[in-house]
Amino acid sequence: MIWEILRMAVDSLTVNKLRSFLSMLGIIIGVGAVIAIVSVGSGAQSQVTSQISQLGSNLITISPGIRRGRSGRISFTATDVFTMELAEQIQRNCPSVGLIMPNLQTSGLLIAGSTNYQTQVVGVTPAYQQIYDFYPARGQFITEEHETSATNVMVLGSGLAQELFPDTDPLGKTVKLFVRNRHLLFVVVGVMEEKGTGAWGNIENQAFIPASVLMKKINNRKYVNGYTAQAVSATAAKAAVGEIEYFLTRYMGDPEKFRVTSQEQLLETISQVTGTLSLMLGGIAGISLLVGGIGIMNIMLVSVTERTREIGIRKALGAKSRHIMAQFIIEALAMSGLGGLIGIGLGWLGAAGVAKIGGWPLVVTHGSVLVAFSFSLLVGLFFGIYPARKASKLDPVIALSYE
Amino acid sequence: MLIQAVNLQKVYQMGPVRVEALKDASFQIEEGEFVAIIGPSGSGKSTLMHILGCLDQPTAGRYFLEGQDVSAVSDDKLAEIRNKKIGFVFQQFNLLPKATILQNVCVPLIYGGIRGRRRQLKLAEQALEMVGLGNRVHHRPNEISGGQKQRVAIARALINNPSLILADEPTGNLDTKTGKEIMNIFRQLNKEGHTIIMVTHDQEIADQARRVIQIRDGLVQKDEVIA
Repeated sequence: MIWEILRMAVDSLTVNKLRSFLSMLGIIIGVGAVIAIVSVGSGAQSQVTSQISQLGSNLITISPGIRRGRSGRISFTATDVFTMELAEQIQRNCPSVGLIMPNLQTSGLLIAGSTNYQTQVVGVTPAYQQIYDFYPARGQFITEEHETSATNVMVLGSGLAQELFPDTDPLGKTVKLFVRNRHLLFVVVGVMEEKGTGAWGNIENQAFIPASVLMKKINNRKYVNGYTAQAVSATAAKAAVGEIEYFLTRYMGDPEKFRVTSQEQLLETISQVTGTLSLMLGGIAGISLLVGGIGIMNIMLVSVTERTREIGIRKALGAKSRHIMAQFIIEALAMSGLGGLIGIGLGWLGAAGVAKIGGWPLVVTHGSVLVAFSFSLLVGLFFGIYPARKASKLDPVIALSYE
Repeated sequence: MLIQAVNLQKVYQMGPVRVEALKDASFQIEEGEFVAIIGPSGSGKSTLMHILGCLDQPTAGRYFLEGQDVSAVSDDKLAEIRNKKIGFVFQQFNLLPKATILQNVCVPLIYGGIRGRRRQLKLAEQALEMVGLGNRVHHRPNEISGGQKQRVAIARALINNPSLILADEPTGNLDTKTGKEIMNIFRQLNKEGHTIIMVTHDQEIADQARRVIQIRDGLVQKDEVIA
């Protein structure tokens, strides 16, 4: 019996192909949008998180605190206490902190022979290599000795080395740094390995010099922008954050003057933001599903009116109310179910296209497919019940004489 | 006794107007009879047919079909009675336009719970043979003539082997020659033992039955056996 009714439902849908398709369109778009949005959201999220963890693991950033300025302005307080000595004290007083380095950088013009290149110059200590998991491919990195004696040596990013010395070996060559109307000469002692584009811009085109050189010879300040610390292990990251906060609060007497952020917190924030965004967009797509359901109900009501006589004939031949009801509900379900399937296919294609452009992996979870499909069936059922009831309640005598 | 109608009355309330479509109709019909119910339009014969066909229920009075009182049963029960005991043939043919001839004839089997596609098709083919429509079974109703449509309708009426065939102006939409052919089928079916009730306003058609019940103004005016 159920097969007969199913076949009748499919038959009646294929008779009006265009109309069935148009009434399915709302469901198709809704389901497609849900699938695509959820997939794009999780793809982008996995891309961002993988980029962040690529930066190095268990990183903790210590930066100046944000203070609300007057007249509603947000201003960074230039903290005059972030010195090199403070970094050493943090390391001594926080047992979970393995390595720590200052955050120092400037922008300058590098000149080698007739080539010049505007780029970021980063002041580093030897700890930089382990913290960022980033090592020289050739030559050496900035050493402790370079740092203490403030020697003018430079390590080039692999891309930068290509730009400045396209045909020659950069090791031992001299590079002129033009920054703040001053010229400084550096000797290239190393070239970094290739690491690919990270989340924070292209690190391949950076130049690295001893932090002491940047502070004493360029900035003329003994303060740094902040620190990057590495916990002794991934599990110690949380403890390290607590220790640093405790130490700095005691040291500065004001917890508002600094901010300690761990990589983990950053990841959490990002996944929260993308999760909220996906949910919001998915909700909007869900509204489209609802609208699609109303479209189905509309067409079902038209169909019931159009087929009043058919309903009358079926009743005369012995159809009970539940047969008529089942016929129309199955028709609505077939419409919304088929729409859902087409929508899943289209959403998948759309997500694949966006993933290809965005360069992240295509993530279509079984969960989102299942939820979208069952939601479309639910919409079909919900909006099919009223027309089906209307059809099943028709008086056979009146229905038979309907023209 | 197949049918016993006792003081059947049907009243329609149309807004403030009370319409007595059927005032008082009583008669009995035995198995194997061929009865014509005749009367002008507005006489109440259609209302009577609806009640006899279990499509509608009387306002007052009792209607016994095969001894069972069907004047006060549920809608679903009525549907079951229509499916099992009554075969309808309508003036407008009332075939499902989107289904093939074979599918049309199968519809009562589906609602009757006769399972098995092969069994259904076999029964449908047999019924179509009985009305002389062995071929063209895969055509749709709009591809065949009026006479053929009415044969399909008769086959559909016969398929569940009902106790009663109820025909409402079965020749009304047919030309004289085709109408005669259809009447011959009814007479043949009656000879084979089927009980047939035919509603018509056409005296010539009614004369081919073996008993005529005349309805006027909602009352049985005449009830006579011919030859």
